[in-house]
Amino acid sequence: MAQPLVKKDDDRDDEAEYSPFLGIEKGAVLQEARVFNDPQLDPRRCSQVITKLLYLLNQGETFNKIEATEVFFSVTKLFQSRDIGLRRMVFLIIKELSPSADEVIIVTSSLMKDMNSKTDMYRANAIRVLCRITDGTLLTQIERYLKQAIVDKNPVVASAALVSGIHLLQTNPEIVKRWSNEVQEAVQSRAALVQFHALALLHQIRQNDRLAVSKLVTSLTRGTVRSPLAQCLLIRYTTQVIRESATNTQAGDRPFYDFLESCLRHKAEMVIFEAARAITELNGVTSRELTPAITVLQLFLSSSKPVLRFAAVRTLNKVAMTHPMAVTNCNIDMESLISDQNRSIATLAITTLLKTGNESSVDRLMKQITNFMSDIADEFKIVVVEAIRSLCLKFPLKYRALEEGGFEYKKAIVDSIVILIRDIPEAKESGLLHLCEFIEDCEFTYLSTQILHFLGIEGPKTSDASKYIRYIYNRVHLENATVRAAAVSTLAKFGAMVDSLKPRIFVLLRRCLYDSDDEVRDRATLYLNTLGGDGAVVETDKDVKEFLFGSLDIPLNNLETSLKNYEPSEEPFDLDAVPKEVKSQPLAEKKAPGKKPTGLGAPPSGPTSTVDAYEKLLSSIPEFSEFGKLFKSSAPVELTEAETEYAVNVVKHIFDRHVVFQYNCTNTIPEQLLENVSVIVDASEAEEFSEVATKPLRSLPYDSPGQTFVAFQKPEGVPAVGKFSNMLRFIVKEVDPSTGEALDDGMEDDYQLEDLEVVAADYMMKVPVANFRNAWESIGADFERVDEYGLGPRESLTEAVSAVISLLGMQPCEGTEVVPNNSRSHTCLLSGVFIGNVKLLVRLQFGVDGPKDIAMKLAVRSEDENVSDMIHEIVASG
Amino acid sequence: MGLWEAFLNWLRSLFFKQEMELSLIGLQNAGKTSLVNVVATGGYSEDMIPTVGFNMRKVTKGNVTIKLWDLGGQPRFRSMWERYCRAVSAIVYVVDAADPENLSISKSELHDLLSKPSLNGIPLLVLGNKIDKPGALSKEALTDQMGLKSIVDREVCCFMISCKNSTNIDSVIDWLVKHSKSKS
Repeated sequence: MAQPLVKKDDDRDDEAEYSPFLGIEKGAVLQEARVFNDPQLDPRRCSQVITKLLYLLNQGETFNKIEATEVFFSVTKLFQSRDIGLRRMVFLIIKELSPSADEVIIVTSSLMKDMNSKTDMYRANAIRVLCRITDGTLLTQIERYLKQAIVDKNPVVASAALVSGIHLLQTNPEIVKRWSNEVQEAVQSRAALVQFHALALLHQIRQNDRLAVSKLVTSLTRGTVRSPLAQCLLIRYTTQVIRESATNTQAGDRPFYDFLESCLRHKAEMVIFEAARAITELNGVTSRELTPAITVLQLFLSSSKPVLRFAAVRTLNKVAMTHPMAVTNCNIDMESLISDQNRSIATLAITTLLKTGNESSVDRLMKQITNFMSDIADEFKIVVVEAIRSLCLKFPLKYRALEEGGFEYKKAIVDSIVILIRDIPEAKESGLLHLCEFIEDCEFTYLSTQILHFLGIEGPKTSDASKYIRYIYNRVHLENATVRAAAVSTLAKFGAMVDSLKPRIFVLLRRCLYDSDDEVRDRATLYLNTLGGDGAVVETDKDVKEFLFGSLDIPLNNLETSLKNYEPSEEPFDLDAVPKEVKSQPLAEKKAPGKKPTGLGAPPSGPTSTVDAYEKLLSSIPEFSEFGKLFKSSAPVELTEAETEYAVNVVKHIFDRHVVFQYNCTNTIPEQLLENVSVIVDASEAEEFSEVATKPLRSLPYDSPGQTFVAFQKPEGVPAVGKFSNMLRFIVKEVDPSTGEALDDGMEDDYQLEDLEVVAADYMMKVPVANFRNAWESIGADFERVDEYGLGPRESLTEAVSAVISLLGMQPCEGTEVVPNNSRSHTCLLSGVFIGNVKLLVRLQFGVDGPKDIAMKLAVRSEDENVSDMIHEIVASG
Repeated sequence: MGLWEAFLNWLRSLFFKQEMELSLIGLQNAGKTSLVNVVATGGYSEDMIPTVGFNMRKVTKGNVTIKLWDLGGQPRFRSMWERYCRAVSAIVYVVDAADPENLSISKSELHDLLSKPSLNGIPLLVLGNKIDKPGALSKEALTDQMGLKSIVDREVCCFMISCKNSTNIDSVIDWLVKHSKSKS
């Protein structure tokens, strides 16, 4: 009997994966929607068709304006049916269609009728739909019904009106603010949901009035709030009030602390947790204040509900960072969570214990971590590594415990130590010694070489560099060839930097000359020669240091191509002849701004960033060496279509008084060799610019990129803009593709390129700020300039926001470049550095003004009033 | 259609309900929603709020069920009248007979609407409302000023009514019932 039963279950599982609507076509469903126009309606059929339409919309299908409007008007015909189920579907589909269809206000009257209907379901749903389709003028007409609904006996209706109020507050604040009395009445409602929604709305209405919020909190904390959700909100508002009033109360008792503390004894777990968390997050919380909160969280740790355990352990984990001693009482409960089925809970428990535990328990914890390191998500791996980092600081002797484990794990640990060394100067010596010990017993070649490299850079800077030599030289005896070669390089670096160690280093390097591996021997020979290995103790000169520590400013790909093309001959390989053109890929790899480099892969040893590469490249050209410091280099702008004979893109380099155009050219015709390549620039539409130098490219063979430059002078400190037309001029020679030899003397030719513009955004560097509000306050209002602009009709708010961002070329902060769907207003925060190294911040407030027109309020704060004015000029003329 | 079939239809009409669909249009404040109320309940109210969009009402008179699309008359809704007039049994156009100033607008809106190909041949009933007011136009003057004579491609009829005093409402209902089609 059992077998068929199991089989049946299996069948059902299979079916569950398919929706009955899978594969329906938009076109067919739109056809079906014609049933809405039938004189004799079939409510069942109509409901089904609406379900299909909703399904399509939920699957991401979109209806264009005509389709949406057509469906919408057909749907309005369904108001003739009295079928309750169908009406419900009508409400739903109108809500979905309202953003994309035209003239949705046509249903206002019908909805108002439903809003006053005897059927509760109609009333609540009609309100929700009505607030979606209404605009300011209509809202004043229906206002009195909404006010009535807020105090409706039926909680569903009241909640619907309150939630609508929350939405409408965004677009029509002055109207919603008139409902305060009704909302206040609703706060006293017996229905939990109504109280919750009413409190949220009331707070939003008053949120900009600090005193009113404070009054609200004061009156409600006296205990009229019954709904747990509303109580949670109240706790959040209370902490806000505490935060804001913190400055004017001194040592004495914290206002409202008693309220928070009393919430710890609330019936609902949600309220208890909210209160406990609020207490732990109070500014400058004392251990006396903390104790009761920790106690309830401790109880949660042994709850049977995973969500409570998780919430508690996560909060305690945070507390442990600032108040480890307060959490130690929970250690025993936390220990039992180490084996929790939920990995997230277990990870948080262990890392909390690492912060609070004593030295003896750490070994055991570390073993536990290694057991499930591979099972947990990256987010928690970071938590673990952070915990280990702080552990290393606390118990330096325990690093050994870290050494069991796989490559990824070890790499994480090494990265942690490297970060420690970089961020905490005091930890450097002990950290480097840890690394030395680490490589004594490390089976991973990659890690060993990376650590050796790192030691070579950091080691010589320490007070007693000699103590690392032994560890490094041991590698030469004990490891494989790759590690040996890396060790030789590291030794050489010590020799170069620390003169007193030189004689000893020379001895060691000479021994390496007898190594069995070619690479090791070659390196040793090279270093002995560059360091002056004749035994004399001399100052290491700058070139040698440059050679050992400087980074190679030639893209490795280009070097490789050139080396492959080099044929052994009398003429030595010329490193300078290798094209330094940075193909566009490195740009894509450019680190996200603001992202902190971490671990071994990062500078100082890491690859040079694009800007550095450009700077080096430009300063190596004598004509441009006096232009001063490079302010900004733009991303490459293509000046040719894809797949043309010659591919050219340009990078705009901005200096204080100059602009240099770097034209990156590629010849894509195998039968041609181009010589004397230059770009003739016509700057007649860029009056403020005058050409000062041009650097042609001697030769441009097939598929080997090269650059030519043109430099312009411009007025200092002015963001001069202009349009430049470009012509590529060169001598073209026929070549034999197989040998690469020129077949004729060549002829001069021109090739028209697309125009290029220097725009205001080129003078702006995207520099993020961590906390916009703080930055805004600290820069001060001295040079604040505020003005309003009409942006005219725009496709959408999103389009307007991104247009202004790209016009200014600034860095959007805190994700404000994203406009939520359907919003009628938006605030966008930007930061940047203007030419002349002037920091500036911009706050943009967008609003929809009329049917399509968008208005914008622009506030600029900067360190220089001219710059503030300039931003307004840019916007006014853009 | 054979004689027998015609007889059957007549027989059916005795036993089964008949149904019709009407759309009610005209400028704002012409009295459309009042007319619906008078037809449906016989009640009249002096102050009405303007219709924002449309109201849908079903009214049963004898064995005829009338579906009424009562549309808002404000300018922003006039472009949508046509959507609710397609495939109705008759278009009822209400005019304020005591408001001569707006007659020319009313006339042009009506003729614009009737020029839509989708509404070809649909019977039109023009109602001159508010004849209780002093200075209201006569039927002849209204017919003339609305240019009803020029409409030749459909059946056109005109009544003078007063919703306030229920004048002539019965004739309107009679006309409507006559134009209903039997439910199949």
